[in-house]
Amino acid sequence: MEVDREDGRSQNQLRPLACSRNILHRAHGSASWSQGDTKVLAAVYGPKAGTKKNENPEKACIEVIWKPKTGQIGKLEKEYEMILKRTLQSICILTVNPNTTTSVMIQVVNDDGALLPSAINAACMALVDAGIPMRHLAVSISCCVARSGVSGLVILDPTKLEEQKMKAFAYLVFPNSVHSVLPEGSPSVQGEPIENGIITSVTHGTMSVDDYFYCLERGRAASTKLSDFLRRNLQQQPTNSSKAG
Amino acid sequence: MEGRLANAWRLTVNDKNFIKTALLSEIRIDGRKPFEYRKISIKFGREDGSSEVQLGQTRVISIVTAQLVQPYRDRPKEGMLSIFTEFSPMADPSFEPGRPGELAVELGRIIDRGLRESRAVDTESLCILAGKFVWAVRIDIHILDNGGNLVDAANIAALASLLTFRRPECSLGGEDGQEVIVHPPEIREPLPLMVHHLPIAITFGFFNNESILLIDPTHNEEAVMNGRMTTTVNANGDICAIQKGGGEGVPQRVIMQCLQLATSKAASITKQIKDAVEAFNTERALRKIKRHPTSTGVDVREKQNQ
Repeated sequence: MEVDREDGRSQNQLRPLACSRNILHRAHGSASWSQGDTKVLAAVYGPKAGTKKNENPEKACIEVIWKPKTGQIGKLEKEYEMILKRTLQSICILTVNPNTTTSVMIQVVNDDGALLPSAINAACMALVDAGIPMRHLAVSISCCVARSGVSGLVILDPTKLEEQKMKAFAYLVFPNSVHSVLPEGSPSVQGEPIENGIITSVTHGTMSVDDYFYCLERGRAASTKLSDFLRRNLQQQPTNSSKAG
Repeated sequence: MEGRLANAWRLTVNDKNFIKTALLSEIRIDGRKPFEYRKISIKFGREDGSSEVQLGQTRVISIVTAQLVQPYRDRPKEGMLSIFTEFSPMADPSFEPGRPGELAVELGRIIDRGLRESRAVDTESLCILAGKFVWAVRIDIHILDNGGNLVDAANIAALASLLTFRRPECSLGGEDGQEVIVHPPEIREPLPLMVHHLPIAITFGFFNNESILLIDPTHNEEAVMNGRMTTTVNANGDICAIQKGGGEGVPQRVIMQCLQLATSKAASITKQIKDAVEAFNTERALRKIKRHPTSTGVDVREKQNQ
C-alpha cells in the first residue's frame, strides 16, 4: 500500500541529510544539521565551573537553551529544552567532571518538520565537536502514522505539511549502532543489543499500540542508516581539539 | 581545560599591549590595514526574508516576518517596523540568556534609527485599509558568533533580509469593501517591500593615542579600544545616523575623516548587498519552474533478520 508524498519520496525514504561541525569560532563545539529544509544550529560551551541551584553538585549538569526562529520563548520551547536536556543527560558521562555545567544552545534556522529530532542530532554532533565525554551517540528520527485502521502505514521523516495532515507522529531517539571489534560482540542488556533500546519517545496525536510498535521498528531500522551517516561524517572531519577559552 | 572553566573571557595584559604596539605601526593582528573591512559573505535561506551574513568570524542571521495588525491611532495610514535583537549565548560565553542587555538594546536602536528615521523602508505602502489593517514588519536578528563589530554585520543582515522579503498580496473585499482578503503565495505572487535606499552602518574604533583609528574592529580589538563610533550612511552620501556613546573624546577633524571613509565604504557594501540579492532573486525565479523532484533521500528497508 503506497502513500503519495508531495516531494515524491517513498514511505521509507529520509530527506537529504547534511551536517557540518566546527562552524562557529567562539563556541567550544558547534554543529549544523539539516534534513531537507529543516535546519538547526547547535553550539556547546563547557564545562564551566559550578552547577545551578537545584542541580546535583556531584555530577556534571547540562543546560539547554532553545532559541526559536522568530517570536517570544514560550511553553513549547521550554518543553523542547526539557526533552533535550533529559536525552543528553542520559548519553553523557556525568561523573567525569562533577560540579560543572555544560551549556547547549539550539538555534532554529528553518522548521519544515522533524524539528526536535534534528535538534537532538545537531546537539549530539556539537557535543562530539566540543569533546564532551559521552557513552554513545543519540540518533533521532521522526515517524508518522498515515491513516487509521490501516495499520502498518508508517512514513518516515515527515515534512511540516505531512505532520499537520497525518493522524499522529512520534519522535524517537535511539542509541547509535555499534561496530564492535571485540570477540564478544557489542554490549547488550538482558540479551538484547544496546542499540535496540529507546532513549526518548515523544508522541503527538493518538495511535494504536500496534501502530506505535511498528513506528519503533521502522525508526530502529532508520537509526542504523543514520548511525552510518554520522560515523562517516565524524571520520571525515577530525575534531579540532585546540579550542581554549 | 582550565581556560574553559571561566565564564567571562578576558584578554591578557600581554595581548593588549601587543595589539596596541602593533597598531602604532599601523599593523593589525589579523593582517588588515587600519581602514580595511573583513570579508563579507551574504547567504540566504530557502524562505523569503531570511539571510545569514558572515563578517570575518562574526556570524549573524536575520529573519523578517509580517503580520496584519491595527495601526497606531495617531498614524492610521502607516505600517509598522520593529526590530528584535537576540544576543544568543552561543555567540559569546559572556552573553546571558533572557532579557537583552544594554549592548543588544543599543544595537537594536542603531539599526532601528537607520531604517526608520531615514525612511529607508516605505511604511505608507504597508497600509492596506487606513485605520484598520496595516502590515507590521518584524525583523528578528540572531547573533550566532561574536567575532567583533556586531552592529555592522547585523545591519547588513537586516537589509539583506528586508530586500528579499515578500509579503502576501491582499485585496479589499466583502460587502462594504471593509474586509481584507490575504491571498496565499500559491495563488498570487507575494510582493517585495519598498526600500528607498540602504543605510549602511560603519563602526570605527578610537584609542588613547590620537593617531590610531580603526574600522571594523575584531573582538580582540574591541577589548582594547577606548571609544567607538558607528556612522550610518548610504551610497548617496547622506548621513542617516551617528552613534557615539561616551568613550574617548575625539577632535572634529577625526570625525570628518571617519564620515568621508564611511561614505566610500558604504558604496562598496551597498553594491555587494545588491549583487547578492539579485543572485537570490534569479535563483528564486528559477525555482518557480516546476521540476521533477531530484531529492535523493536515504532509502531504509526493514531489518529482515532480527
